[in-house]
Amino acid sequence: MTDSSLGLGGAGAAAGQRPAGAISAYWQPVAAAVLLLALWPLQQALLQRDGGRTLVFALAIGLALGVVLQRSRFCFYCHARDWLQRDDPRGILAIILALAVGLVGMTVVQSSWLPNPQAGQLPPDMHIGPVSWVLVLAGLAFGAGMLVSGSCISAHWYRLAEGSAASPFALLGTALGFALGFQTWNPLYSLAVADAPVVWLPQHLGYGGALLLQLGVLAAWAAWVWQRHVQQRQRSLQVPAAPIDPERAAPRSLPALWRSLWQGRWNYALGGLLVGLICTAAIVRMRPLGVTALIGSQVRGALQGQGWVPERLNGLDGFAGCATLPAATWATPNALVLLGLLAGAFIAAFASRQFRPRLPTGCDAGRGLLGGVLLGWGAMTGIGCTVGTLLSGGMAGALSGWVFGAAMLLVLWLGFRWQTWWGSRA
Amino acid sequence: MTIRTAAPWRVLIAGTIAATVWGASPAFANTPQAVPAGALVSTEWLAANLQRPDLRVIEVSVNPGLYERAHIPGAVNFSWHNDLNDKVRRDIVSKEAFEQLLSKGGVSDKTTVVLYGDTNNWFAAWGAWVFDVYGVKNVKLLDGGRKKWEAENRTLNNRSPDYAATTYRVGQVNTDLRARLGDALAAVEGKGATQLVDIRSADEYQGKVFAPAGVPELAVRAGHIPGAVNVPWGKAVNEDGTFKSRADLQKLYADVGIDGSKPIITYCRIGERSSHTWFALSKILGYQVKNYDGSWTEYGNSVGVPINNPAGTIWAAK
Repeated sequence: MTDSSLGLGGAGAAAGQRPAGAISAYWQPVAAAVLLLALWPLQQALLQRDGGRTLVFALAIGLALGVVLQRSRFCFYCHARDWLQRDDPRGILAIILALAVGLVGMTVVQSSWLPNPQAGQLPPDMHIGPVSWVLVLAGLAFGAGMLVSGSCISAHWYRLAEGSAASPFALLGTALGFALGFQTWNPLYSLAVADAPVVWLPQHLGYGGALLLQLGVLAAWAAWVWQRHVQQRQRSLQVPAAPIDPERAAPRSLPALWRSLWQGRWNYALGGLLVGLICTAAIVRMRPLGVTALIGSQVRGALQGQGWVPERLNGLDGFAGCATLPAATWATPNALVLLGLLAGAFIAAFASRQFRPRLPTGCDAGRGLLGGVLLGWGAMTGIGCTVGTLLSGGMAGALSGWVFGAAMLLVLWLGFRWQTWWGSRA
Repeated sequence: MTIRTAAPWRVLIAGTIAATVWGASPAFANTPQAVPAGALVSTEWLAANLQRPDLRVIEVSVNPGLYERAHIPGAVNFSWHNDLNDKVRRDIVSKEAFEQLLSKGGVSDKTTVVLYGDTNNWFAAWGAWVFDVYGVKNVKLLDGGRKKWEAENRTLNNRSPDYAATTYRVGQVNTDLRARLGDALAAVEGKGATQLVDIRSADEYQGKVFAPAGVPELAVRAGHIPGAVNVPWGKAVNEDGTFKSRADLQKLYADVGIDGSKPIITYCRIGERSSHTWFALSKILGYQVKNYDGSWTEYGNSVGVPINNPAGTIWAAK
């Protein structure tokens, strides 16, 4: 087994049961090429619409993100689990790298938008949200949803392309969770969100100070992760690392190099670097990346029509984040990022022959739905998920991003501790 | 080693190439021309004159992030929400804050200001009205606004300009350009023979709807100010967003009895679309016009004022 299965597990563990003969997968690279070609007429059609260039840009950004997420298996849950449970720090370091790269990139962009960050204005539509105990609760719920369903929302999107059995249920559950979130929003808003501070670190520390503080914390975290890993290794005297295929380590020819792109998984650091760059590139031409706005606005639009969601969600549309205001058209930049992400993940999974659908079991459905509800409620209440609130928010210097991320990580840590304890009892 | 001078034919060829490139390059294709008379400048003129030191282009858009991602090179950003409105009162920006804004943007008495923005220049026209209230001279509107500039594939960039600050001082504040609720009521009662122009959609005017779709700020009563004529703002523009010709505008308003012989008040829902019509009537046709920025959100919420509601709704019910 190659190390491509390292990123699988949790709810996706069953997807790791690779069928031995992958002969049936020979058609998949052809499907990838067909799918890629099929996007051409779509982008031509998009160009005819109002704001068409931005829509095509969004599709391209989504496509790149989908390929990167699938090929590098960039998944917050798996990366956290590998670190906290299996003493493999590569994934969490990739997340830290993505945050650091995006932080530098977004600081460059924002400092052009708002030369003086301390003049009292916030950068336009960056995901800087209110910080209160409600946000902490949202992060905790989101983390619990990751534990139960085995992925965060962005990873569920790309796992669809791998034929994951739990992801469709998790995304359905996410929609239900959003519906619940809309129900609880108004009381929570009155209780805590309305008066909560919206903290953008450069406003208080300047660009330089905010960058130093955030990069310093990330660097300290990375150093601690690494140090702990080294100590663990010395204690257990484990020899890590999967056997290295000599051809993959040092491709001798161009075809071999090309083939290596579609085998196993990409280097963790490459995934982190590219995610950071993609998040930065996005804000130059469109709103920050997020992968829940479409679910949110569709659910809200459908349920408000039925009278099942309050007609007025107090203050919600005034906060920057993954907007859930029902749009007049399906073709919004955010929707096209998502469409691109799905297409990119399918193209990457097909090209790597990693599309291995299997029939879901009752357990898949139950875990997916329950986890999805928690993910959806957390993403609605936190005005975004690991992408919209943590990545896009944290990189922009929003305290809300870091608070959400910390709450999420705390639950994951507790969850893994509990799993270990439970496992040791058995 | 011998030092060779360039042969004359080489110099000639190099010179010809340089001159050709110089002449063909868009940045230098147009020599600066005189600032046109009148209230409008065309996109062609602006593109050719962007480098002028006595020109300041200012974007007034309502959608956040638009200016930041791409704007006309060298343009300064005046946010409609944060810069041109008072942050606490429902009011236009205060005189002191306006002076600071212009000083920061490097505007002086000698500067020609060109305003442009999104959503058909509504908010840029609102800006032009505020500039006029504070007596700023030499203010023009970019005909067609952002929409036309983009449609013509003209250059945009996202760098924020850094102009040397000036010390701008407002002279006489021209309150005659602004109508208040009392002025609207006086017009209803026929004092001063003022004519009212409601520039909202026919459905809003008739009282069938309270506001355009998706607009959160409403009045509790629908309809229009009694005596107002309805000329939706869009009738004043061509397909590409530019204003119709002077003659066409004159005819458009004359057809509903507005010919400039009496003072006029324009209004809409919050005063931004009506600024666009205020601009056409006042700056292009030269009529005497006040813009009522309280508009229907103030009038339709006021207690004890008469309204005209052809749709017959009482509050939101029939």
